[in-house]
Amino acid sequence: MNCVRKLLLARELSARPGVLRQLAPGLDLLRLQGSSCAQRFWPVPVRSHSKFTPAVKGDQEKDGESRDGSLVPLEELFDRACKGERNKAAFTRAVELFCQRDVRRRGHIEFIYAALQKMPQFGVERELDVYNKILDVFPKEVFVPRNFIQRMFNHYPRQQECGIHVLEQMENYGIMPDNQTKFLLLQIFGAKSHPVRKYQRLMYWFPKFKHVNPYPVPVPLPQEPIDLARISLQRIAADLSAKVTVYQMPLTDILDSGKEITQPHIVGIQSPDQQELLAHHNPDRPVFVEGPFPLWLKKTCVYYYVLRGELLPPGEKGEMLDSERNFYYPMHLDLDLDRGPWDDEEFDVDEAEEGPIFAMCMAGAGDQATLAKWILGLQQNNPILSQTPVVFHLAPGPRELLAASDSEPGEEEIPQSRRAQQEC
Amino acid sequence: MQGARAAPALCLRLLRPPPPHYRRAPAQAYPTFQSCSSCLYSTHAAEAVLNKAGAGTVSQTISKTKFPPEESKSFAMGMFQGRISTEQVFPYPSVLTEEQAQFLKQLVGPVSRFFQEVNDPAANDSLEQVEDRTLQGLKELGAFGLQIPPELGGLGLSNTQYARLVEIVGMHDLGVGITLGAHQSIGFKGLLLYGTPQQKEKYLPRLATGETIAAFCLTEPASGSDAASIRTTARPSPCGSYYTLDGGKIWISNGGLADLFTVFAKTPVKDEATGEVKEKITAFIVERAFGGVTHGPPEKKMGIKASNTAEVHFEGVRVPTENVLGPLGAGFKVAMNILNNGRFGMAAAMAGTMRGILGKAVEYAANRTQFGDKIHNFGTIQEKLARMAMLHYVTESMAYMISANMDQGATDFQTEAAISKIFGSEAAWMVTDECIQIMGGMGFMKDAGVERVMRDLRVFRIFEGTNDILRLFVALNGFQSAGNRLRVLQRALKTPLGNAALLSREAASRLRRTAGLGSGLTLKDVVHPDLDPSAKQLVHAVDLFGATVEGQLLKYGKKIIDEQFVLMRVADAAIDLYTMAVLLSRASRSLAQSHPTAQHEKLLCETWCDEAYKRLSTSLSTLNTDGARQTFRNLRGISRALVENGGVVSPNPLGF
Repeated sequence: MNCVRKLLLARELSARPGVLRQLAPGLDLLRLQGSSCAQRFWPVPVRSHSKFTPAVKGDQEKDGESRDGSLVPLEELFDRACKGERNKAAFTRAVELFCQRDVRRRGHIEFIYAALQKMPQFGVERELDVYNKILDVFPKEVFVPRNFIQRMFNHYPRQQECGIHVLEQMENYGIMPDNQTKFLLLQIFGAKSHPVRKYQRLMYWFPKFKHVNPYPVPVPLPQEPIDLARISLQRIAADLSAKVTVYQMPLTDILDSGKEITQPHIVGIQSPDQQELLAHHNPDRPVFVEGPFPLWLKKTCVYYYVLRGELLPPGEKGEMLDSERNFYYPMHLDLDLDRGPWDDEEFDVDEAEEGPIFAMCMAGAGDQATLAKWILGLQQNNPILSQTPVVFHLAPGPRELLAASDSEPGEEEIPQSRRAQQEC
Repeated sequence: MQGARAAPALCLRLLRPPPPHYRRAPAQAYPTFQSCSSCLYSTHAAEAVLNKAGAGTVSQTISKTKFPPEESKSFAMGMFQGRISTEQVFPYPSVLTEEQAQFLKQLVGPVSRFFQEVNDPAANDSLEQVEDRTLQGLKELGAFGLQIPPELGGLGLSNTQYARLVEIVGMHDLGVGITLGAHQSIGFKGLLLYGTPQQKEKYLPRLATGETIAAFCLTEPASGSDAASIRTTARPSPCGSYYTLDGGKIWISNGGLADLFTVFAKTPVKDEATGEVKEKITAFIVERAFGGVTHGPPEKKMGIKASNTAEVHFEGVRVPTENVLGPLGAGFKVAMNILNNGRFGMAAAMAGTMRGILGKAVEYAANRTQFGDKIHNFGTIQEKLARMAMLHYVTESMAYMISANMDQGATDFQTEAAISKIFGSEAAWMVTDECIQIMGGMGFMKDAGVERVMRDLRVFRIFEGTNDILRLFVALNGFQSAGNRLRVLQRALKTPLGNAALLSREAASRLRRTAGLGSGLTLKDVVHPDLDPSAKQLVHAVDLFGATVEGQLLKYGKKIIDEQFVLMRVADAAIDLYTMAVLLSRASRSLAQSHPTAQHEKLLCETWCDEAYKRLSTSLSTLNTDGARQTFRNLRGISRALVENGGVVSPNPLGF
């Protein structure tokens, strides 16, 4: 309770207009100019000018509860509310805490900017009701223009800017506002205010772009590694007739001897075209297993391996079927209608310049033993593999961006790769 | 009404070739319509035996066909592209010169009389060989060298004349027909098509008199239509003067009688470009006198018992190099051309058979009385007779249309020939079947002579390419031609300005088709106005067919080959379409020339077109539906279950 009282006091002081103007007239101007860039870092100035307020400092010291003499009110609010775990409940609690503090909601703009910044850390950046909650922080009806002069000029520009900023963050995360957002905005800023216009623009474009991506990444991504691998492989393979096969289910078992064995998952994909290509592969030439290659699904990174052959010398290409095979009817038609007139005729998805790709897989572990099991599984449908030498060209393992994920666990979530690495 | 008023003028026009503006799409619009490698089946397979002008003509034709026309004139190829190529079909071709017609008339009488008086089909059947006096008589008539040039001792008949005589043979005795056909339609056809002048001079005179009988040896135990699995080999001797032939052929017609064989064997051929030695098929002319040729006992068969069918074995037969037929390694082409060229005769023979059978059926129906009424007054019998008549009329019209096209020097008749073989053999089977049905128990008895025909006919749906395989040929050949056209369009799209005319025409016809207006094709100039409704049906059907083919092609691409359920239906529709066109053409000619039977032919044509149109539009419009796909899946599933179960899956309803 004590600390709350101290905080209230500090806010009172910091928001006192006389002090502000005395201490940081330039800052105030800056604020009035409405540079959103400056506003984004608003909490910092709050902190800094509180340092220069001897009265405040004295108060805090008197209470004996200060922390290094700094006020840091807004971030603190969040830190205090979260009590260890950062989640939606904690975030809402922090917002409620702020709302209860003061009827007038002093410093609500600074709080909202701080809240917007904190959202990803609490994992609520995609929660519509949290955005509504944040908008709810604005005092109602105060900023609604009452006459034509107010309406003509930018009424309460900082507040309007802030409201737009909330909507912009929603836009960036692809959150479509709902009716509650609309009512809140109308209540706070009134019709035809800038935030309401922004809202209207959002509501115009969002539904139009909602299905613009024909290959959406599912939200949320499946957590099961097999399902995730299935989705990823189907995204890479350009052939609808390609077949996904689960060669091995993930399994952790403890033997009687107490030894633990883990069996990583192996999921592969192969299209009929690739199968045909492999069937015509000269078994004297080796095929290569290569990887891991990264695939990003939004913030998740998964790794895949390919089975490929050497690039064929030009002489050995083609000549798939003898045209003089059947006395009575042609065994193959000479057509190429699946290409558009402007397509590059030379390019073939499966017969890439690096050599033809015969199959792809994702596995829980990137070691040779696991991938050898995949090749073994492939042999069932591709008997030629049993006569063909298979060379493993494996990179040490997934490395990219792991450091980043370690240092800042909240920013990048890489469950797959981390799990994969653990299993390695 | 309007058509009837305009009739006289139109009738005159019918007899002239169609006006040039009618032929759509000038040749230069299709710069590379057929690339050589892609059209194996529609270009170089196209060398017709031309008329009696002699050996020289044949080689001339061959050299002429090296420059294939840029756009196929074949009606069947055109309809796969949604076009109507009237040139070969309208007006109904009549190619016989006065002289040829006269000569043919002189032949028809004696040959008919010979078969009525001398030949005894029942005896041939029970003896399981052609009676000696019949054979002798046929040889004296010159029936063994119908198409051999006169200067080499043959009759030098054109394809049309040949068809007319074959029709008589087919009417009376199919067993004898096979003996003659295996001899000249395929046995030594290779010599006529590919033989050098020396080879022709050496062998043709003996073959023409029937002193030597020929046989065609292609089929092996492991090789039906698969050229790659031919096991017979011919190794060149070190000195290079002869080949040593080893291997065995089965089911060779005339195998036991023949002294001269056209044999296909694998030979090592060096590729000039790469220096690689490859096994390729080469055709050889093998005399029995070379030694090492043996044959098995005559096979026991269901029908055509009078003809001889046997295995032929070659063991170390030394074939001189000069007996290689055609270029070394070109045996595949030789075989294919021989087969393609022989097919038209089958339709003619079938037309003859049907004519004979119909005569028997009508005679019975007109005389048999039941319940105090002649049975031909009953609707059931009337329908049977009418359908039989239509089937006969179609087959006959097709047979003479195709032989005339070949005589005109057409190079693109393979699809039509295949259609005529499929249709003819099936129509003859149905007609004979219905004849037995009309005759009831009487038809089942040997004495009536119909059951023998039925047995003989069965093999016509099997040999020289089973009807199923030929359906694949018809459909795939057509899809290839439709694909070529699309490719031309595709290429044209790359430089739209240079091909504006072609593209706008295509776009317009597609738009009209989509809007349900029809693509603007018309047959008004070439079909008799009395047949206008049927002509409209044909035009509509061609539109529908073209659109369906294109749709399927775009849907499946190259994989259309594996969609045999679809291919079969498309082939059936193609057959129906071609029959409609042929009937319209023939009936138009009869109406225009006021033949006494013109009104009857009109009736046949209208009825047939109506039924064929309904049949094909139902089958085509449902082809793309989920229902059809479900049916295909079901059929596939049933068949798989049967195979897995090794027979019928469902148990006896009694449970034991």
